[in-house]
Amino acid sequence: MTEKISFTINGEYRSVEIDEEMMVIDVIRDILDLTGTKRGCDNATCGTCVIVMNGKAIKSCNTPAIKMQGADILTIEGLAQGMELHPIQKAIAESGAVQCGFCTPGIVMELHALLESKPDASETELSNALNKHLCRCTGYEPIRDGALIAQQLVRERMSEKA
Amino acid sequence: MAYKYLGKSYVRPDAINKVTGKAVFLDDIRLPGMLHAAILRPKYAHARIVSIDTSEAEKCPGVVKVVTGKGCTYRYGDNIRDLVPMAIDKVRHIGEPVAAVIADTPRHAYAALDKIKVEYDPLPVYIDARQAMSEDAVLIHEELGEYWHLPTLNPQPGTNIANVYHLKKGRGEEGFEEADVIIEGEFNYPFGSCAALEPHGSIVWFKEDRTIEIWSSSICPFIIRDDIAHSYGVPVSDVRVHIPDIGGCFGYKSDITVEQTVAWIASFVPGRPVKWVASRKEDITSTLLAHGIRTVMKIGAKRDGKLVALKTTVYHSGGAYSDTAVNVTIAATHNSTGPYEFEHCDLTGYTVYTNTPPVGAFRGYGHPEPQFATERMMDILARKLNMDPFELRAKNYLREGSTNSLGERMWKSNGDMQACAERVQQIVFGKPKEKREDDQFYYGRGFAALMKSPKGAPFSTKGCYMKMNIDGSVSVNMGGAEVGQGLRTVVRQIAAEALKIPPEKVRCYNEIDTQFSPYEWQTIGSMFTMQGGRAIVRAAEKLIQGLKKTAAQVLRTDEDYLEYDGEYVYLRSDPSIRVPVTQLARGYITDNGITIGDLAQSVADARLPRYSNPDQNGQGNLGVTYTFGAQAAEIRIEKKTGKIYVDHFASVFDVGQVINPLQIRGTVLGGVLMGLGAALYEEVKFDEEGRILNPHYFQYHIPTYKEAPQQTIEFIETPDPIGAFGARGIGEHPVIGVPPAILNAIYDAIGVDFYEIPVTPEKIKQALEARMEKEIA
Repeated sequence: MTEKISFTINGEYRSVEIDEEMMVIDVIRDILDLTGTKRGCDNATCGTCVIVMNGKAIKSCNTPAIKMQGADILTIEGLAQGMELHPIQKAIAESGAVQCGFCTPGIVMELHALLESKPDASETELSNALNKHLCRCTGYEPIRDGALIAQQLVRERMSEKA
Repeated sequence: MAYKYLGKSYVRPDAINKVTGKAVFLDDIRLPGMLHAAILRPKYAHARIVSIDTSEAEKCPGVVKVVTGKGCTYRYGDNIRDLVPMAIDKVRHIGEPVAAVIADTPRHAYAALDKIKVEYDPLPVYIDARQAMSEDAVLIHEELGEYWHLPTLNPQPGTNIANVYHLKKGRGEEGFEEADVIIEGEFNYPFGSCAALEPHGSIVWFKEDRTIEIWSSSICPFIIRDDIAHSYGVPVSDVRVHIPDIGGCFGYKSDITVEQTVAWIASFVPGRPVKWVASRKEDITSTLLAHGIRTVMKIGAKRDGKLVALKTTVYHSGGAYSDTAVNVTIAATHNSTGPYEFEHCDLTGYTVYTNTPPVGAFRGYGHPEPQFATERMMDILARKLNMDPFELRAKNYLREGSTNSLGERMWKSNGDMQACAERVQQIVFGKPKEKREDDQFYYGRGFAALMKSPKGAPFSTKGCYMKMNIDGSVSVNMGGAEVGQGLRTVVRQIAAEALKIPPEKVRCYNEIDTQFSPYEWQTIGSMFTMQGGRAIVRAAEKLIQGLKKTAAQVLRTDEDYLEYDGEYVYLRSDPSIRVPVTQLARGYITDNGITIGDLAQSVADARLPRYSNPDQNGQGNLGVTYTFGAQAAEIRIEKKTGKIYVDHFASVFDVGQVINPLQIRGTVLGGVLMGLGAALYEEVKFDEEGRILNPHYFQYHIPTYKEAPQQTIEFIETPDPIGAFGARGIGEHPVIGVPPAILNAIYDAIGVDFYEIPVTPEKIKQALEARMEKEIA
């Protein structure tokens, strides 16, 4: 059984045909070829597949594709504006938070959902968000450092805009 | 020594691609006409295959071909050729490939797997080495005597013992006659998984022009190339292996693992590329496991604490195929001394076939497992001798003039074990413990010293291709796999230093391609910075020499009168007589258009100097280079739950020369957390039938954000004579001392000795209850 759904992804309007058993990650990676979103486990444990849907961080590997209908979706490919990195990307790149980089897109999207809606998130909120993501390389400390720098940059950008 | 570009933190050249989602990992590769494979795993861990019926599966939608191991006539392996790409008449572990479906989509391939009918005749299952070594054990490999193996290996046909390695130093076991005190213990480092976030995968494409093209998430493209060429009878030059970005390795993506299986499958659909990517479950059940090492250890010492003799027996449950385990066992055996000198050693390592997935490399490669025993034994021995454990260790550290088990003499340039230990002692034990316990917790502190050598191989070289461009920028290609360790940053910095140009002017290769990249054995053993770095330095020297040769003609003088500063080649006696390197890169074009000199490019490689095979005593230059270090844990044990909290962890290593402070700290932070996982959480568990009980992240728990301790990390820099600019290996070392330091801290907190990991809250609670009962009695 196939079904047609439409949504906005990274600012572009798209219409695709999906099978009913498809998950969001299947549409993103296999139909739209947006391979920045990663598959790291079989059962929504590792956090590598996290994207932002309607402003919220979701695990794309266990969210049915049908939920994309009419949604506003953001993936890792949609953050940079041309050559200009999003402040979260910049902070994560420079803090040492990137080693193998496989968990990185999920973490960046998690932070994006949190900080764009709540730039004053407490350290507990940050740590609760990051605790949903596995990383085998970094020992997490540089990810925390990156998240704190990112928060600073996001706040600065907001105060500049205001 | 002061360097211009070393000892400074530069942002990794691959960071931006990774934060923008543009880094290409194996599963991100799409090729024209690509098909997808799904692999059937057996119901039994040890069984004869009676029959396989693929007829129903062949009729499923999207299915192109169903493949079995029938007709496979070759075995493969780098050390002992005992592997098959797909089970032929027998399955030997629960993750073994039995059949595969090739289909247009992964979904169609997986859907058809259920339709394959296999009939098995089960055989007895052995999980632990000692079960498989029992006299009446059924043979897992009846044909062991027929397998090709390296001449240095010693398989035992007619048994399940794939290899026995023995080392004798001094008088061997007779050395215990000289001891006043003898202690013994048995320690277990159970099966684990590297559990990198990116699961394994490969794409193989048999092309109509009889070349084979492969993409794999592997750190050994050249081994894959040579091995596949051998199996399919084509020239090595007709196999081309690409390595994209790798999402973590930690050991299990070394050696040849899944590539031969995917090649076997793809060989049935020539002309079409076939992709296979492991599910998380398959990544644990069907690639390489880790550890599975029991260490039985006996230490003899003089009353004053001088160590005299060591007897170690390593029982390594090597899994169903031992090709990848044998060298881990050997490393575990001769490195079981830890960083100490014993005059007499009697060390034996058994690699044993078992009905588990093959066991292979894990960060530390045979060092964490036996040194977990050594470091626990040091604390136990100190208590027995009524001696300060730091004093006991200090009396026996390998240092200038001492010899290790292999008979290698230690020099000052091997690094300063004592200095590492003293610094960690100061950081963690410098002040008295604040409290032993309170209402909620027991508190403890524990220490461990460690050493590691690379475990190389005779041909373990690393190559470097370097070319200077017409603007003076430099392109560097190497065969080292980037698994996250940051070697591209290191390449950049070392090349910049050697060529005296800013790192921004060095562009480092991204993917590896065996057609274009220089040879590298495999990116293992924490060797890249030191050995690869040496190759870069050598290539840079050759390139500079080439520039001087051309410049000598331009400036009408002799090469040895010339100097190079990154921008110019100039006359030493009159620097105003000079030629810019930009005019030398393609040879020098004279005013009338006649060009002289060579292209500014060079090739070099570097291996461990005089690395050798073991002699009849199991000794020889098998280590060559060592990194020493010391680690310590400060923990809290919750009385109610038995849960262990590691509050602070300190590490000090003598790394020779820090290349990039941000990256090296990252290496240690991650390594320590991995060791913490091994000490407290991680164990791949089997039931009696050989089924894996926890092949998922939610069951095989790796440390999470909130479980990471605060860490103090420092380095001592005693320059190494082999490594580039004095640098030594550090990639694996941070894991090694963590479990013994934590278990020594547990003893400090509650007075209970643990001999195996992981130490779970249940085990702590049991121990506390047992202690309470003893106190009451």
